[in-house]
Amino acid sequence: MGRYLYDGTSEGLLSAVAHILAGEKDVERVTLVERENTLFEEGVYLATDTAAAEEFFSRLQNLASEAVYTFYYFTMAEKGGLETSMLRYLALALQHGSKVNGYLTHPSVKEIVTVSRKAGRELHRMKGLLRFEKLQDGAYLARMEPDNNIIHPLSLHFSKRLRAEDWFIYDVRRRTAARWHRGSLTLGLIEQFTAPALSEEEKAVQALWKTFFGTIAIPERRNPRLQKSNMPMKYWKYLTEKQG
Amino acid sequence: METLAKLQVLSGAARYDASCASSGCRREGNPYSTGNTSQSGICHSWSDDGRCISLLKILLSNDCIYDCAYCVNRSSNPVERASFEAREVVDLTMEFYRRNYIEGLFLSSAVMKSPDQTMERMISVVETLRTEERFRGYIHLKIIPGSSPELVRKAGLHADRISVNIELPSHESLKRLAPQKEKFSILEPMSLIGKEITESLVERRASRKAPKFAPAGQSTQMIVGASPESDFQILRLSEGLYRKMNLKRVYYSAFVPVNHDNRLPVLAAPPLLREHRLYQADWLLRFYGFTATEILSDDMPNLDESFDPKTAWALRHPDFYPVEINRADYATLLRVPGIGVTSARRIIAARRFSVITPEGLRKIGVVMKRAKYFITCSGRPFEQMERSPLLLRNRLLLGDGGEVTPAAPPKQLVLPGLFA
Repeated sequence: MGRYLYDGTSEGLLSAVAHILAGEKDVERVTLVERENTLFEEGVYLATDTAAAEEFFSRLQNLASEAVYTFYYFTMAEKGGLETSMLRYLALALQHGSKVNGYLTHPSVKEIVTVSRKAGRELHRMKGLLRFEKLQDGAYLARMEPDNNIIHPLSLHFSKRLRAEDWFIYDVRRRTAARWHRGSLTLGLIEQFTAPALSEEEKAVQALWKTFFGTIAIPERRNPRLQKSNMPMKYWKYLTEKQG
Repeated sequence: METLAKLQVLSGAARYDASCASSGCRREGNPYSTGNTSQSGICHSWSDDGRCISLLKILLSNDCIYDCAYCVNRSSNPVERASFEAREVVDLTMEFYRRNYIEGLFLSSAVMKSPDQTMERMISVVETLRTEERFRGYIHLKIIPGSSPELVRKAGLHADRISVNIELPSHESLKRLAPQKEKFSILEPMSLIGKEITESLVERRASRKAPKFAPAGQSTQMIVGASPESDFQILRLSEGLYRKMNLKRVYYSAFVPVNHDNRLPVLAAPPLLREHRLYQADWLLRFYGFTATEILSDDMPNLDESFDPKTAWALRHPDFYPVEINRADYATLLRVPGIGVTSARRIIAARRFSVITPEGLRKIGVVMKRAKYFITCSGRPFEQMERSPLLLRNRLLLGDGGEVTPAAPPKQLVLPGLFA
């Protein structure tokens, strides 16, 4: 019955998992949690070993590429308390390969796959719901407040789609931003955000879009419940068509 | 007229086209162009009727020479008329696309002077988008019935998806409600498109440089409830379209009365439930291995309003059940109400690891509320009950605590004297 602690980073998680899998026989009897730095915390603290994390990651890539995606999406969810499940999931991934995601009757697999699928779903949703506004200098800005930390894969999506433009994506809650400028992508933190001025034609284009949004609905089929279930209200804050 | 006013008229006139798919083809962008397409398609918004908005769905013009009874744009209707300049549509598409409002353009049109003249103008919009603006997003182009084969071919080379609306489920109804549209002028381009798509796929196997023809396939649409055809007739038609013409999708659009015309039925509300049941049956045809004659028959020509078509089939075939979850093959699992394509695949994937228990089934995401009456898990049934069809019907309708009451009679369509 081992109890292990790690520093809470995804790299730390991977290196801890690598360490545990090398030493423990039965992962079903091991727990792994984030260190809370209380005085009498029980468990063996595993310091992050970058080399071990990288080696484990490439091993996983070779043996179970699907599990790498699952892990990546899982980290976007920023959900604590599931490290033990992740440990067991990764042990099964090494054993069974990419097929592991089909083992949904296993509680740990189910838990990890569900969280990761949810993050993936929000990423897909934001690819549609993100709204850019044109700024005075000709660049475009989009603001969002997603539940999951999806800014990186999301900006990769737009870097393939809107290549000729300059744009920013800003995650308001996490204060992170992605910037696409002259064909290269940078990610960073923004300490103080001031909304830049919009370009002159921006309001006119927004009015066109709002008009379209209003007239494309068939009045006889009005169904606000269906609309909200497809497009939850938490996303409306930055939707051009849902502003005043 | 200003662009905003035109947009109001021409998107309002386009809203009865059901299709908004942007899936089925993957095109990468390049450094000098704008846009790409995604295999799964992307929805960008949902309008107040709950339908998704993925494409800028507009008509090039609503100024129509035809006078189809069911259509809001028919020539005898006193509606405001408008036509876009090609440039206006191009600018709208590009401005909307750059702001991530849309996945692309769905361009349709009323028939202006002639089918060919209209088709030519529509193609010139798309050509400008593709060549001048280097737009690589999704384009769905409607084919005007009666346009020449050369124009249909040209359309398919620029657009991702092209579609010809079949409008009504039978030749007779078409003659009565859309007298200026001929059956062959609809079916001919459809089969031409089907042929071109197949040929292009063959050519592309030989050379990757061969041009793509409508890579996201062909679709069509028909109005349901404006004419007296039964669901059986409609499903047989769809089945034929999928099998013989290789269509990607058939859309059903519940008839919304927009005109007063004594050739049309008078409905209290659009037949939305019927449309929903037809889509469910359509899915059974495309993904569940059902045939139209399994779903309906001449003796039972319309879909049950109380049950989805798969549950209805299950109730008529008690001998097929129970299905053993741990042994049944994919096709058999798909016949269980409450198990869809996703759960059937997951069941098969999970069986490789261990025997599936009732708890496991729930984890997989099977809708137990319906499935439990039709399955066993390692030989054990879920419900110790007499499987009399009547009792089962009521349990499914009302849940386990429900009283046994006869099902309400299905709602009749209200038709005017002409059909009575």
